[in-house]
Amino acid sequence: MKRYWDIFSKGLVLENPIFVLALSLCPALAVTTSVVNALTMGLTVTFVISMNNLIVSIFRNWVNPKVRVPIYITSIATIVTVAELLLKAFAPLLYKELGIYLSLVVVFAIILARAEVFASKNRPVPSFIDGFGMGAGFTLAMLIVGVIRELFGNGTILGYTVLGSWYPPALIFIMAPGAFILIGYLVGAWNIWSARIEKAKGERGETI
Amino acid sequence: MSAEHNDNNNSILKIALNLAFACILSGIIIGLVYFFTADIAKQKQIELQNLALQSLVQGADKYTPIAGKPGCYTATKAGDLIAYIVPAESKGYAGAVKLLVAVSPDNKVLKYTIIESKETPGLGDKAAKSPFIDQFPGKNAGELTVDKDGGTIQAISGATITSRAVTKAVKLAVEEAATITKGGK
Repeated sequence: MKRYWDIFSKGLVLENPIFVLALSLCPALAVTTSVVNALTMGLTVTFVISMNNLIVSIFRNWVNPKVRVPIYITSIATIVTVAELLLKAFAPLLYKELGIYLSLVVVFAIILARAEVFASKNRPVPSFIDGFGMGAGFTLAMLIVGVIRELFGNGTILGYTVLGSWYPPALIFIMAPGAFILIGYLVGAWNIWSARIEKAKGERGETI
Repeated sequence: MSAEHNDNNNSILKIALNLAFACILSGIIIGLVYFFTADIAKQKQIELQNLALQSLVQGADKYTPIAGKPGCYTATKAGDLIAYIVPAESKGYAGAVKLLVAVSPDNKVLKYTIIESKETPGLGDKAAKSPFIDQFPGKNAGELTVDKDGGTIQAISGATITSRAVTKAVKLAVEEAATITKGGK
């Protein structure tokens, strides 16, 4: 159990996809203008990355190493397309909301990276957990960015007004430059935090 | 080419077959899912469109497509014409903005709904919400210009381009509806 928890939790803080691995920054900028968008994107990615890790891991011994990248992309595209078709048929309203996110997910660097780094070398269950942890870390990071941007850029959280009419919304937070500046500061803060965690672990004599 | 490229695992044929097999497998899976879901999806699409029409013109009991005008409908209530529904589109800040506009028989805006847009969330997408959307009902084609261009529609601050695009699309729809009225009479 401890081993699985370690695999899961490294995606949350020490190897957080956005703040530490700095992968998939483009969507982090594009869709974090509101909390709802950020959360939707995070959950979509969590689903696709877990499924893809599982499938890549199951087929890892049949994939020729020379064409592994195109095969991983095919696998991601298949999962996304099947999810899209199923949503279209059984939850069209949800599909309308998720539509643009789903097609973006196909080219997510983080999904390909986890297939390459982890799933192609590990058994299915740990691979699934790795994907789930990375997805959770991605969602967490998206939520942090989304909450700050929506709060300062619009005065709302999840559409509910938090800062009253006395607060003039700072439009820069909604635009891409604001996201760049914000993510820069967050990466800095994250580095300080994870350095402390590692130091504390080192002092206790644990291996990281 | 050195000899190692020709050994069993890395022969170009094997590599190609490996990738081809993965793609065929993927194709079969997608094909099967599509085969089973296509009809249901089509059905749901029609239901969704009817829902959109109903939210646009409340109280109408029948929507009839207009011959020769794809995407246009007349909404009638107990046989009386109460609105034309006209699709319109114009170029926004980030690609096309597509609207569905309900126009009354005397060529005034009743309501519009945005069916597709990629405008900035939290900024341009305010065009689908109050108070911006509340400015439109009752306006005729001549009044449909944003305030910066001397019209009566107050643009969303920070999203003038989107406001212009939506206003222009609504105007186009009203003008389109006018041609239907003339054609019908």
